[in-house]
Amino acid sequence: MDLAIKDVQRHVGKFLATIIGVGMLFAIVLIMNGIYRGNFSDGVWLIKNTDTDLWVVERDRGGPFNEQSRLPGDVYRSVAATPGVDQASPFITYTVQREIRGKERQFTVIGYDVFGGLGGPGRIVEGRRIQRAHYEMVADLKLGVKLDERVRLGRHDVTIVGLTKGAVDAAGNPLVYLSLADAQETLYQQDNEALRSARAATLQRLERAGNTPDQARRLLPLLSVGSDNISAVLVRVSPGAVAGQVAERIRSWLYLNVYTQDAERTLMVEGRLKKMTQILGLFRSLLIVVSIIMIALLIYVLTMEKIKAIATLKLLGASNGVIVRLILEQSLVITLAAFAFAYVTVSLTYEMFPRTLVLLPADTRITFGVIFAGGILASLLGIWQALRTPPSFALGG
Amino acid sequence: MSILAVNGIRKVFGKGELAVVAVDDVSFEIDAGELVALLGPSGSGKTTLLLCLSLILEPTAGVIAVNGKEIFRDGWTGIDVRRFRREKIGFIFQGHNLIPFLSVRDNVALALQLNGVDRRAARRRARDLLEYLEIDHRADYLPAAISGGEQQRVSIARALANNPPLLFADEPTASLDTARGEKVMALLKRVAREKNSAIIAVTHDVRMISGFDTIYHIMDGRLSRAEADAVAV
Repeated sequence: MDLAIKDVQRHVGKFLATIIGVGMLFAIVLIMNGIYRGNFSDGVWLIKNTDTDLWVVERDRGGPFNEQSRLPGDVYRSVAATPGVDQASPFITYTVQREIRGKERQFTVIGYDVFGGLGGPGRIVEGRRIQRAHYEMVADLKLGVKLDERVRLGRHDVTIVGLTKGAVDAAGNPLVYLSLADAQETLYQQDNEALRSARAATLQRLERAGNTPDQARRLLPLLSVGSDNISAVLVRVSPGAVAGQVAERIRSWLYLNVYTQDAERTLMVEGRLKKMTQILGLFRSLLIVVSIIMIALLIYVLTMEKIKAIATLKLLGASNGVIVRLILEQSLVITLAAFAFAYVTVSLTYEMFPRTLVLLPADTRITFGVIFAGGILASLLGIWQALRTPPSFALGG
Repeated sequence: MSILAVNGIRKVFGKGELAVVAVDDVSFEIDAGELVALLGPSGSGKTTLLLCLSLILEPTAGVIAVNGKEIFRDGWTGIDVRRFRREKIGFIFQGHNLIPFLSVRDNVALALQLNGVDRRAARRRARDLLEYLEIDHRADYLPAAISGGEQQRVSIARALANNPPLLFADEPTASLDTARGEKVMALLKRVAREKNSAIIAVTHDVRMISGFDTIYHIMDGRLSRAEADAVAV
């Protein structure tokens, strides 16, 4: 006679409620696994999915993602002339926040040379790539927009011509691809009033420096703040060239910082992602420990509820095996059913989360193993209590 | 030959100056089919004696023999004790102590299955016992769904499951009203006669004392034989 199953059958409601409660806790563990992996996956997505061999950024800067990098817009031509460089393309990236469909949305703009340059979007799931120099955009589905929808950026409406899936920045915000010119305009465009004030101030400074008003007016365009800066130059090395050697050449000839794909990835993993990964890892471990403690307490409470029945069983001559089986089976039923509930729940809902959840089968297996072992360990507390209960406890009122 | 022979058993808790003698030089014999009452106030040692007789406590000294076979011999392990308890002893509790999540039939069958009887045979035997105790119409009920008297009958059926030569009853009528208590006493008497089992009941319930064949009185751990009339008075 399987006493554990008989007990579960007689108290279906209680066990279901327990399974759902523990299952929710396990679901949070699985979600935390997903966020942990998703944080890493999002963090390196753009680096991994940008078609380049080298990232050329401002000297002594760890850009363009970990630190701001500003380069003159035409520096890519010098880079392109470096021996071993097959192609060099300007690239700009920055994060903006705009109201889209009545909601404030944060996203990262990627500006690139849309006519054959490096750094454009990867796979387009709907629509097409940008084919015009202005007012076209490719956005990720996560932005919540549709094809042919028009989005206000700066002074212009930009039409969405293509959609990507899973294109996100290190913070999990969707990516938006624009032509380099549109991206620069959106970033550097000043309000007319602010522009007039800045020009007036510059004119005054020039006149105070001894220039005539006419000379000051002629010098003004030369002193305007550059609006063609870029964040980086993307480089594809020539066939047969060694990326490291080309990088060293650019570094020493042009006084720029150069990172290979691996170095840029390491920069991201060891910098921006490190602390968050540590925090998420810590939370993940704590949640597993809390889950095991919860199961231990639940099994203990379930055992204590049955302690008189257990004492009676002992008095009737039941072996320790019967008692251990009763407690262990219930612990395993709760653990396994709760994990199954958690797995199904997370599998059905993970795409609805605002952050990317990456559910690796290996992570799920390891978590299951840890929780399964934890469930067995947790039941030891109940078993210990049951085995130390004397049969005489069954006697008396 | 007596079914239970107790010779000079003694149970001491603690050591030295803190030693408490709970059972002191108790000897008696019980025959098959005999219904014995063990009377005494709280703290007199009757529960300790019952625990020794049911192999839950090992006596400090003395010999207990069932069917002429000495128990607690050298080399007895927990497994031997549990097997002996399953095969030779049945328990009837004041609070009935039925397993709350098992049906009436499963409660009785459980005692058999714990003793190695297969499921089908156990259920058949359980049905027969429930019929014998006229409680078979409640076979599929949970204990909480039947009355106290019915629960006590199920408890008796469970105690009889393995045909034990010895039945120990702990206050079997204490939680029942007089009418139900008398029914349970009549039932115990019938079981003792028909199943040839010796029944030892620890009781405070002087209402039922006339139903017993033999009455022992225990005071400060020492046992003495008493007459039913004297106790009732």
